[in-house]
Amino acid sequence: MKHDPYSLTELIRNEEFIAWVMHPDELSDRKWRTFLEEHPRKRKTVESAREYVILLAKDTGRHQPTQKQSDRMWSIVESHMHDDVPKTPEQEPVTIFKTSRGQGWRWARVAASAALILSIGSVSYWFYYKKADAPLREVAVQDEAEIPNTIQKYNDTDKPMTVLLQDGSSVVLQPGGRLSYSEGVNRKRREVTLTGKAFFEIVKNKQKPFLVYSYGLATKVLGTSFTIDASSESKEIKVEVRTGTVSVFSINNLDNNQKEAVLDKPELEGVTLNHDQRIAFSKESGKIIPLPAAVAEPEDKDVSKQHFVFDETPVSEVFRILESAYNVRIVYDREKMGTCPLNATLIGQPLKEKLEVICNALDAQYEVADNQITILGKGCK
Amino acid sequence: MIRIATSTGENKDHDLWQRIRLGDEQAFTAIFEKYHRTLYNYGSKLSTNSSLVEDAVQDVFIDIWRLRHNLTENVTSVKFYLYRALRRRIHVALDKFPSMEEISELDDEDMPANHTHSEAILIEMESSSARAQRIQELLAQLPERQVEALTLRYFDDFSIEEIAEIMSVNEKSVRNFIYKALTSLRQSREILLISSLIFWMLLFF
Repeated sequence: MKHDPYSLTELIRNEEFIAWVMHPDELSDRKWRTFLEEHPRKRKTVESAREYVILLAKDTGRHQPTQKQSDRMWSIVESHMHDDVPKTPEQEPVTIFKTSRGQGWRWARVAASAALILSIGSVSYWFYYKKADAPLREVAVQDEAEIPNTIQKYNDTDKPMTVLLQDGSSVVLQPGGRLSYSEGVNRKRREVTLTGKAFFEIVKNKQKPFLVYSYGLATKVLGTSFTIDASSESKEIKVEVRTGTVSVFSINNLDNNQKEAVLDKPELEGVTLNHDQRIAFSKESGKIIPLPAAVAEPEDKDVSKQHFVFDETPVSEVFRILESAYNVRIVYDREKMGTCPLNATLIGQPLKEKLEVICNALDAQYEVADNQITILGKGCK
Repeated sequence: MIRIATSTGENKDHDLWQRIRLGDEQAFTAIFEKYHRTLYNYGSKLSTNSSLVEDAVQDVFIDIWRLRHNLTENVTSVKFYLYRALRRRIHVALDKFPSMEEISELDDEDMPANHTHSEAILIEMESSSARAQRIQELLAQLPERQVEALTLRYFDDFSIEEIAEIMSVNEKSVRNFIYKALTSLRQSREILLISSLIFWMLLFF
């Protein structure tokens, strides 16, 4: 025998052998099993060759990019995608909103169509991401002028931004995040659209469910706190519940009537999440996948990880924690109030409710203007 | 079963390709997501400069989107197209053009005939972890083109024919790259065995 076609080296480079090792199927399995029965002495060689093929595949595949590199590549590719679009990207959402002007909540229903949100989201995200601050503000102002009642908040800073909604709920928008919503008392639902990451603390109201739309995913709550991470670069949307219960469902495959019915129901349906549970929603497939609970990592800065448990805590410390969690400025008379002790558990409550609880305890009042909260009171006796 | 599985995979690519030609952003995103990591991995075998590789991968995709209306309708394999495009990009960036020199061809018949015995000993001696380490060391020492061929064959699962076209060489050269790489694997094992024998002999005398 001059040369053995089933020696180690020969097996490792044998196409059929590689195919069997990498993607075994019935046919190849039968073939190699028969071979081994006929050549029992080759068992060790085959096992060894198999291991080498796997090792070679594994080792030659070692140089995959890190998530950071992937993100970087995609962001550059995506920024070039809209370079050659002849119309200005921002025209798109404006026209969409225009068609539904004056019909109150309908803009949200239109926007709920996944495809539209996807295009608005990615177009406007990149538009804003790419441009400097100046044109951003212009466009934002223009938007608001064009569409009465529709408010768009975009966080172009590198710090979290707290948005206070009319119903008293608060949303902490992370840098790069974008939130649009309509104000108005007569709405039957509270609806916002999110691109990017935000932490929500929602005022309880069973009659008016609160809905967050992000790329075909609707998150419905009656009153609770949770984080949604719907970055335009990511293929997935993550929802993590802090307190209470929320339900999430895909609205990609629902027609308008079904959507209306599901959105209006006071009860929660779809996939229900309780506190500390997380899911990921694939933008592409529309599937909702449960994720293992996050490992609690208490970060002073991250509002969604805060427990807001105060036990004989001096008010000055309480305000410091609120200031850093919501990135707001709280102005108060430090001498009179600073040392007053506070006992309260404020997890899951919107910022305004927290302030109310604190002010009740201090027998004080609060005022909100822009990013500044002023506490007026005489202090504790 | 495997045939069906890969062909549906290719059908899906083909479908995405048609959608990209019509300007479908989601299809484009899907192709990027599916292939950018393995492309980067392959690019890393051609250049150790990671930012050059990143740029080349980006440019391949940027070009596809930019020229989407002019893309060939019947691309046989999207994956193959992407790899070949990436290789060209990196070679242009490295100012490296296909060299004229022919790769010395090693005939299949020239293979050393009598190695089965030494292999048999080694197989019994080696542990899995030793094998894993051996492969790592080997890949670090091999010439670039051999590593490239191994990557395309074992990790990216291209056929010899496809690898030949990606690397712009003939099929025989591809077989040679792989054969030489695997032979070095065997040689390095023999060297190790001999050196450990010497080591033990020195210990005893």
